[in-house]
Amino acid sequence: MKNNKKLSLWELYLTKEIGIEFKACLYFFAILFYYCMFKLCTGSASASILHMAEMIFTAYIIGYIQVYLFNNFDEAENLGLREWVGILVCTCIYLTVAFFGKWFDGNMYVLLGFAAYLLLTYFCVFLIYRSKRRIDDRKLNEDLKLFQASHKKVSDEGK
Amino acid sequence: MKIDIKKIESGEASVTVRYVEKTPVINRIIDILENDGAKILGKKDGETVSIEKESILYIESVDDRVFAYTKEEVLRLDLTLAGAIETLNDIRFFRCGKSMIINVDRVERLKSLSSNRIDATMEGGEHIIISRTYASEFRKLLKGG
Repeated sequence: MKNNKKLSLWELYLTKEIGIEFKACLYFFAILFYYCMFKLCTGSASASILHMAEMIFTAYIIGYIQVYLFNNFDEAENLGLREWVGILVCTCIYLTVAFFGKWFDGNMYVLLGFAAYLLLTYFCVFLIYRSKRRIDDRKLNEDLKLFQASHKKVSDEGK
Repeated sequence: MKIDIKKIESGEASVTVRYVEKTPVINRIIDILENDGAKILGKKDGETVSIEKESILYIESVDDRVFAYTKEEVLRLDLTLAGAIETLNDIRFFRCGKSMIINVDRVERLKSLSSNRIDATMEGGEHIIISRTYASEFRKLLKGG
């Protein structure tokens, strides 16, 4: 019987925190890619450090909102109403910061493209996590069958 | 009844039961020896009954009462969840939540959920969620760790 090795509160908090930081990095790089493409298309080869700082802080804060308010929608089993509300709210926050921070020089078309890009990113991340879980399912069930077979063998030998 | 207990220095431990007639006490002793603790006692409709450990699907604590669920019946155990762990003393029984112990042998399939949780479908069709607090340890158990 195993009962004494459960995670401590600190370890649980740390796991969640690392998850949020991972999300922040993931979305920051996705946003940065769109931003860099915009800059290149407008003939500029330099990016603003201030914009990048705004992006990473926004991604970090939205990571908290996503995990604590919207039940981690990109890792959800299915995209239901609650998940879509989460996706739209987080996209709106990014758009607001991008608009007031002038990430795209106030160009509304690029901003609209940014909204579509964010929605696509969220959807792709959702699909990636779902595929990861499917692979994990297979691994878990293989391990379960092996465990059951080996322990059945042991108990049969004991009889 | 005369009880003769001898300590031996080496060799296999053995128990000899000598009786003229099988009484309930003799039957109980034989039952314990033959099953080597493979049964657990519980209460059903006010009567004390015993069930095979292996037939238990899961054990749940509800309002400080502990119940053992098999495919056919539900028994109330006169134990705490921690006491049940001690009594079962079997690696196949895994504590998967604050109020739940599952028999890993009786898990039909597993499903990975978000936030590192695991959904265990038991042979009876019940779904038991292994919280992320216990999921890592459960994965280690399956890998033989």
